[in-house]
Amino acid sequence: MSNVYDQYEMTIGIECHVQLATQTKLFSPADNDSRDAEPNSKTHPIDFGLPGMLPMLNREAIRLAARAGKALNADIAHESRFDRKHYFYPDLPKGYQTTQMYQPIILAGHVDAPLDGGSTVKVRIHHAHLEEDAGKLTHHGEYSLIDLNRAGTPLIEIVSEPDMHSPAEARAYATELYRLMTYAGVTHGDLYHGNMRFDVNLSVAKKDAGELGTRCEVKNLNSFRSVEKAAEYEFMRQVDAIEAGETIVQETRGWSDDTGKTTTQRSKEDAQDYRYMPDPDIPPVVLSDEDINELQIGLPKLPHEYRSELRELGVDTSVVNTVLAQQLYAELVSHVQEREAAAAKRVANWIASKLDVRDEDDVRSVADVNDLLELSAMVDASELSSNAASELFNDLMAGAAEPRRLAEQKNLLQVSDESAIAAIVDAVLADPASSKAIEDIRSGNEKAIGYLVGQVMKQSEGQANPGMAQTLIRERL
Amino acid sequence: MVQITTNAVRDLAQLSALALDDDELAALTDDIEHILTYINKLDELDTSEVPSSYQVGGLQNQYRDDVVQPHTVTTEQLLNLAPERSATTIKVPKVL
Repeated sequence: MSNVYDQYEMTIGIECHVQLATQTKLFSPADNDSRDAEPNSKTHPIDFGLPGMLPMLNREAIRLAARAGKALNADIAHESRFDRKHYFYPDLPKGYQTTQMYQPIILAGHVDAPLDGGSTVKVRIHHAHLEEDAGKLTHHGEYSLIDLNRAGTPLIEIVSEPDMHSPAEARAYATELYRLMTYAGVTHGDLYHGNMRFDVNLSVAKKDAGELGTRCEVKNLNSFRSVEKAAEYEFMRQVDAIEAGETIVQETRGWSDDTGKTTTQRSKEDAQDYRYMPDPDIPPVVLSDEDINELQIGLPKLPHEYRSELRELGVDTSVVNTVLAQQLYAELVSHVQEREAAAAKRVANWIASKLDVRDEDDVRSVADVNDLLELSAMVDASELSSNAASELFNDLMAGAAEPRRLAEQKNLLQVSDESAIAAIVDAVLADPASSKAIEDIRSGNEKAIGYLVGQVMKQSEGQANPGMAQTLIRERL
Repeated sequence: MVQITTNAVRDLAQLSALALDDDELAALTDDIEHILTYINKLDELDTSEVPSSYQVGGLQNQYRDDVVQPHTVTTEQLLNLAPERSATTIKVPKVL
């Protein structure tokens, strides 16, 4: 009997809130960086919703939104505007959130997200809109405490079409979205501080059903892994419920990383009427094609561009993914590639397999391109063993410079001077202790050469080029 | 005359976080019925040929530079506007 889950297909759409990397808030001149700040210290009367305030739109938020749109392969609206979404909750004292309900700034687009197997999933973007974040509430039994530092922080909400059909696809899309938004400089991408938050909408239906099931929304996921795990869990939960004869109710659910489960938060039956209305305080944003081009000028290279460059180098998919995990690494390999492909391939492989693991947030700088070219040339000239090369590579990536001087200081240069090695080889062969190995080799036991090479390495304190030592030994026997 | 139930006004009061007694509820129901009836006169106009207008000021692209401005009002002053506070947070009755 086939697995019951195999009879069902899941359909996933994702909404993602991206915190923009601006200095100030969307409508107020208060500091937008409230990490670890004292509660309510990064606020302004506009964020407190005091009467008579005049919110003014942050120009940089428009610039970043235009760039986000380009990264999403989307058109930018020639006219967009803001609406008020009313609700009563203490995290937003104005009584409404300023958002773009009817004319968002970013129109339809698409993201091609690479999957582990090498294929891609194409996810269409319905639209993306600008809006302000709400404040933070902490609940303490009989009372709640409000910190409005985050109130007014600019976000774009990217709304995908329901184009994903597996947890792996959902994860791939979330990951690629993260790369696109960080590479484009739209967000700092600090997931720990909630710079990108994903809401996963998932429904299930029998594979031949021809129509979608009722969806549930799992809100506020802040890692790619939880996007994938929550989708896995929701799929099984909904199939189990249907198989048990229950009806899926449209609702909002929360996810717990600790329990690995989703739980009901509120049902859509008590969905509020937000009484959207045009915000009379914020005049519309009108952009010509020329304006839009200007806003998008100098957009850094995006992940798919690096990806095709890396494919030209012929490195493995896993290497591509490791390099792309850090924009600085992708840039570095690309810069080396502009000078020399073979060196770039070597650097990509070093990054993937030799680089000491560092806390991702600590990667602030990388090696100098010229230093890496020199290091690679030293390897080509057999001046470095592969261990010595990895050691120097790590030093360079951690801020050191001048690989040749460094190799000399650390005594890592291989001796490839033939006469110097020949002298050591002759001494080793003349040593009576070597006679057994020499006999073995002459009688056809090739493996015995390892002993002799080892002796040469020992005599040279590890600096002889082992390949050259082996050649010289063979010549003499 | 538009008819509004007392229950609808009670729901509205709850959404607006207002506590109303029965007299106020009855009076407001009456008021809202009159207001809506008056506003509904607008339905008599044929606006099918009139484009929507969202703003009447005629302004567009009103931007501010992305520069943090020093506070003209202190956090302390803002917090003092709240009915209750705890350290530098605003304290409210439980909401969940």
